[in-house]
Amino acid sequence: MSPADYPRFAVVGHPNKGKSSIVASLAMDDAIAISDTPGTTTQKARYPLKVDGETLYELIDTPGFQRARGVLAWLKAHETDASRRHEAVHAFVNTHKEDARFHDEIELLEPIMEGAGIIYVVDGSKPYGEEYEAEMEILRWTGQPSMALINRIDEADYTQEWKQALSGYFQMIRTYDPMHATLSQHLKILESMAQLREEWTAQVKNSIALFERYHAMMRERSAAAIAKLLYRALSHVERLVLKEGEEAEEAKKRLTSRYKQRLRSFEVETQKRIEYIWNHQHLKKQQENLRLEGLDLFSKESASVFGLTRKELLVTGASSGAVTGAGIDLAFAGHTFFAGGIIGAVVGGVGAYLAFNELADIEVLGKKIGRRTLQMGPMQNRNFPYILLGRALFHTMHVAQLSHAVRQSVNFEMDENFRQQWLTDARRKQLEKYHKQFRQAKKTDEKVLIEYEALILEILDGLLAS
Amino acid sequence: MQLKRYLDLYALLQQDRSSRQERRAFGLSDAARGKEAADQLRAWTEAHQSLLPRPLLSEQVEGVLYHATLLLGIAALLLGIVTAAGLLSYSGKEPVNLVYFLAVAVLLPLVTMLLSLIAMFRANRSRNFLIHISPAYWLTRIIGFFDRKGSLTFHTVPLNPLILNWIIIRRSQLLALLFAIGMLLALLGVVATRDIAFAWSTTLQIDAAQFHAFVETLAFPWKAWLPSAVPSLPLVEQSHYFRLGGELSDTMVSHAAMLGAWWKFLAMATFVYAILLRFGMYLLAGWGLSRAIRRSMPAIDGADVLLRDMNEPLVTTHPDEKSLSSDMTQESFYQRTDTKLTPSYDAIVGWATPEETLLSLCDSFSVAASKCMEAGGSRTLEEDRHTLEALGGTVLLFVKAWEPPTMEFADFLEAVAKHVSKAVVVPVGTPKEGYAANARHKAVWERKLASLDYPNVWMLR
Repeated sequence: MSPADYPRFAVVGHPNKGKSSIVASLAMDDAIAISDTPGTTTQKARYPLKVDGETLYELIDTPGFQRARGVLAWLKAHETDASRRHEAVHAFVNTHKEDARFHDEIELLEPIMEGAGIIYVVDGSKPYGEEYEAEMEILRWTGQPSMALINRIDEADYTQEWKQALSGYFQMIRTYDPMHATLSQHLKILESMAQLREEWTAQVKNSIALFERYHAMMRERSAAAIAKLLYRALSHVERLVLKEGEEAEEAKKRLTSRYKQRLRSFEVETQKRIEYIWNHQHLKKQQENLRLEGLDLFSKESASVFGLTRKELLVTGASSGAVTGAGIDLAFAGHTFFAGGIIGAVVGGVGAYLAFNELADIEVLGKKIGRRTLQMGPMQNRNFPYILLGRALFHTMHVAQLSHAVRQSVNFEMDENFRQQWLTDARRKQLEKYHKQFRQAKKTDEKVLIEYEALILEILDGLLAS
Repeated sequence: MQLKRYLDLYALLQQDRSSRQERRAFGLSDAARGKEAADQLRAWTEAHQSLLPRPLLSEQVEGVLYHATLLLGIAALLLGIVTAAGLLSYSGKEPVNLVYFLAVAVLLPLVTMLLSLIAMFRANRSRNFLIHISPAYWLTRIIGFFDRKGSLTFHTVPLNPLILNWIIIRRSQLLALLFAIGMLLALLGVVATRDIAFAWSTTLQIDAAQFHAFVETLAFPWKAWLPSAVPSLPLVEQSHYFRLGGELSDTMVSHAAMLGAWWKFLAMATFVYAILLRFGMYLLAGWGLSRAIRRSMPAIDGADVLLRDMNEPLVTTHPDEKSLSSDMTQESFYQRTDTKLTPSYDAIVGWATPEETLLSLCDSFSVAASKCMEAGGSRTLEEDRHTLEALGGTVLLFVKAWEPPTMEFADFLEAVAKHVSKAVVVPVGTPKEGYAANARHKAVWERKLASLDYPNVWMLR
């Protein structure tokens, strides 16, 4: 495909005004070098949006203007006719291709002169300054369609001042915060880009539809990864062969530690998978393994933030036991006077309540054969699935909402009310049905996993929409 | 769909390192595009089979299954022969009661086939009682027992229970089929080598006409084309035997040749009910197994991701080559710094700062100079040159801290450094900040000045 077959957009501006952040956010690429030191971007870099290898549009990250007044002076000196300014810029680019003094200007003007639309980035949290005039004037001379993006890097707001200054130079002015932009804000910018030139509209609008689908795909994949994590963790059975003369109590401790470690590793694997799904492979975290503010999966704090309360646990255990008991009642056609349901509820509830801190049963296998093996799992703790699921949802929600422009270490701030955002009584009942099956450790029917995955997706969608 | 494909896919996914690009490219190829999930997975497996280590896991598992089935198959065949021989054992004193033979050759197969059908309907359940009573189930247990040393990973292969159930059902049909073949062979062998008098005997109040109706019903499938294998009413009457008589009656002895005619009926009954129907069940179980494998393939760990990667459009926004950006965030400390300003300077220059703001800055920092001039900003380079020519002595240079130093400023500072004895760069904040620059912005300027390193240029920290 020749370069002219798809729209291209050069992201230009003064140094250190967030051009790379905007490209990182729009391209969903967390590998783009971003720093608060001006001049980090020294070469233009192209970020094509490709679908199965076919480019829909291309973003071009460029270095900032360094000697704008020098360029403008040259252009003015070589202007022959106001209607042929475009040619003057061409001439400048051709003349100074090898000129180190104008290296950055050539890098940013070249793609524009090849037909790229202009996205001019300014910092709306800083006042407008007259030094921007030369840059804007040069861009106007190029004659290419252009829009200005006001990116508020800090708290202060000079947006109105900027809008006034920019209105004389650009077709369109939009505000965009790459650090906190949502999908809809991202898509709105794409819609604005689509309007820059009529012949670009269809392709850019195609990419908008595609981005929406892409986002849905990422949510679906995340839900699948979380569903699989829950299934693996709840059904996992860890075995340990006892060493000769080893005390059973000592071995039990060793097995418990290995069992916990295995479950932690499942969680970390899933977190990495989710970061990969959302293009956050370069995410820097405060702690690699103990993510989520260092809250260990098996800590009391984790249980208190993500798990059920003892009361909720009692209800969950009781309702689960009641269902089993009701089955007995049904088998006896109600001749048990529903004692099965009542007893089931009491046993289930009390069991869940008392086993608040217990994880799984430890069994000794092969006593008669001579080689003793300890077995731990599947997970019997009723609270654990909610802790694990809560943590996975929390992590996914933050990763999904995290800007690709963020480069500093990420420390997901704990929200004490997070559980209330997704875990209602009705939801808990729905989930418990599946958790019960997973706890039975036998290979679960694929249909059950698909249903569970759909439920997780529903919860995740709700969280991301809120 | 063969078990081999399932096991090969399982082994491939265990070691797969293919990229999303490769998977999507395969998904778009003719081999996979528009096909059902199981067919796509089979195509993927076939295309990547060369990557699997030898010997193949599938060959190992199938080899063990084959040998175990062969062993049990021979045993079933022999058992069939022995059973039939036992049922047809004839002392010469009492005729052979064909009711026993019919029970084993017709009734037992029909009952077990009915159980097999129920097992097929319940094959989706991991705990299936009917599966557990099957001899083929015990076959897998025996394999597992002998494989404890770990020479084969058969029992560690996480076969979906659905597949395992169907393997057991299918192999059960095969064993039953071989058992029936053994019976038929024994029947034919005994009939050919011995003279047997068949009779029927039962405690139930069944007369010859009723029994005839029963055998005629049984003979329904071959009645039309092999009438000689359908016992006649006189034969049924003649072969009715009462144990109370102690020995064969004279009538029976006189019709001895006639009594032997039962063998054709028994052979056809065995062939139709125990062999032909069982063969049908075997084919049905084969179809069920194939369907189970198709259903289970997408459930193999990693297959769901592979399918998604193959079928969902690959959206990339990354460059083919990463940007050649340099990370310049390293710490750099500028040595020549002042902590406070002196009240007067020879000149004060505001870089990209309008005159009005420059005056405010002078007031704010309590500094004064005989010359207050602008540079940069909207001024031309020619105007900057005039400013430079007017400079000398000690110069204070206000710069906007939030605007990072450009090369244009560096050019100007280089010229200033040549014209003056000392220049002090003062990064200032916005009016809203009371002109106090924040530390992050000042650090940027500090790093820039450190990189330029002019000996007579200082900075207010």
